[in-house]
Amino acid sequence: MRGITRVRITRVIRFSALAMTLLSGLLTQTAHAETLKIGITLHPYYSFVSNIVGDRAEVIPLISAESNPHGYVPRANDMKRILDMDVLVVNGIGHDSWAFEILEAAGAKDELPLIYANDGVSLIPIAGDPSGAKVVNPHTFISTVAAIQQIYGIARQLADLDPENADFYRNNSRTYALELRKLRSEFDSMITGVNLSNFRCATMHSGYDYIMQELGLNVSAVIEPRHGVEPTARQMADTIDRINASNVNVLFAEKYFASALSNTIREATGVQMYSISHISSGPYTDEKFVDEMLENLTTLATAIRDVANLYATTQ
Amino acid sequence: MSTEALQLVRPTGSRYETFALLLITALLISAQMWYVSTLGRQTSEEEIYAWQVSSFSSFEGADQAIYNSLFTVKDEIPYIYDDVNMFNEPGEKFHWPNLQDFQDYLLPPFYHDISWEQNGSVGWLLYEPVAEGEMQGYSMYLGTNGMLENQGSFLLTIGHVHAGFSNNNSLDIWWHPQRSIDMPESGFKDTLVRQGWQLVVPYSGDKEVKRIFGE
Repeated sequence: MRGITRVRITRVIRFSALAMTLLSGLLTQTAHAETLKIGITLHPYYSFVSNIVGDRAEVIPLISAESNPHGYVPRANDMKRILDMDVLVVNGIGHDSWAFEILEAAGAKDELPLIYANDGVSLIPIAGDPSGAKVVNPHTFISTVAAIQQIYGIARQLADLDPENADFYRNNSRTYALELRKLRSEFDSMITGVNLSNFRCATMHSGYDYIMQELGLNVSAVIEPRHGVEPTARQMADTIDRINASNVNVLFAEKYFASALSNTIREATGVQMYSISHISSGPYTDEKFVDEMLENLTTLATAIRDVANLYATTQ
Repeated sequence: MSTEALQLVRPTGSRYETFALLLITALLISAQMWYVSTLGRQTSEEEIYAWQVSSFSSFEGADQAIYNSLFTVKDEIPYIYDDVNMFNEPGEKFHWPNLQDFQDYLLPPFYHDISWEQNGSVGWLLYEPVAEGEMQGYSMYLGTNGMLENQGSFLLTIGHVHAGFSNNNSLDIWWHPQRSIDMPESGFKDTLVRQGWQLVVPYSGDKEVKRIFGE
């Protein structure tokens, strides 16, 4: 009798263990199935979304880290990748028009929910346009203020898709926003007491307008008439005249996309040249945006200090 | 070798062909110019009322930077409101974040850093609703006395649904062309418009997306 009971208990334990294993596997599978797969098009959005969702969702870059989003040509793998996403975060006003080609080609145009990161962003025109035209500047991600606007907007829309994690997303977005504001404090500490009155800058393209404007730094001239479009000889001559007339002493060029034009400008005007990151190349990481923005702000602070020192020694 | 070999032959309709070619060329150029000047425009801001002002086309430099920071504050301020009232005693009046709170949160355009100086060192004042009187229902943050030429003043108004003065907890940003101005008598739209304040309208990304992709 006792032997039979022991056998039954053993069977019950084995059965329970098996059931527990199966149940645990099922729960893991369900949890995995419910984990949101969030696609992103540009490097800054990888950092934004990763910092909002933490480990509660998966962030998938639509194109490989080595690809240049400027003028990107869609590939077959992109279509496969996009079909595995639950939602896609896009800039939508420039830089990632190829994402819409991939959506179209994959037949997911009306199926995949899109989060337009700039929906709630107050846009500004590109600076220094010689014609005076008010053309939308899509580089909202090279900033802290417009970046925070996007982070809150993305977090709100993700919360709608994943209400269970809404509070988590909101709290993370606030923490991340504070981290970005601390970057400005660091910038501040780098130039405390430095005389900014002689600082005049030009930029190779309009990519840095948002960050320059929020820091109160005026851009006197932009070399490329449109992003990626080289100026004509006439436009180039006019720009050089404008740089000389405005006493521009610094030119900010693109870190990732070197241009022979910047050297021409430097030789013709005598400006000092510095490189700023467009945050559009290299590995996708959670820290990339903060790291490269800090690098950009450090470069800006160096340029400001150099100009101040130059004027201090010449006066 | 024959000297009669070279003979110039003109088509009978050469004059008309030249005229037709010039006409077609002129038509093509006109059509292209019309397209560029109308359909080919790169921005298409929505029309705004006389009592409004566009942050995109009417502002530049410091005023645009201050507005964009305030635009972000619209998202942030309800959270900070919750934070600063989290440990209120029972019966203690809830209050909107004061200017010192904004310093603690490093929140532009209120936070005093070099960017604040570069954008005109605008002075900020908070007006909170009193228990009774005309101000009830609106908290207001006034930014004025900027140091830059042609700089305006800003007003962030927060309407309260519980006070019955507003249809929702609306946060609006107003701008006045005067660099120095007193706190307005109230946050009511009509009062503000009468005093020369203009409601700032952003050109936001959703509008640009509609322009690019259609409705």
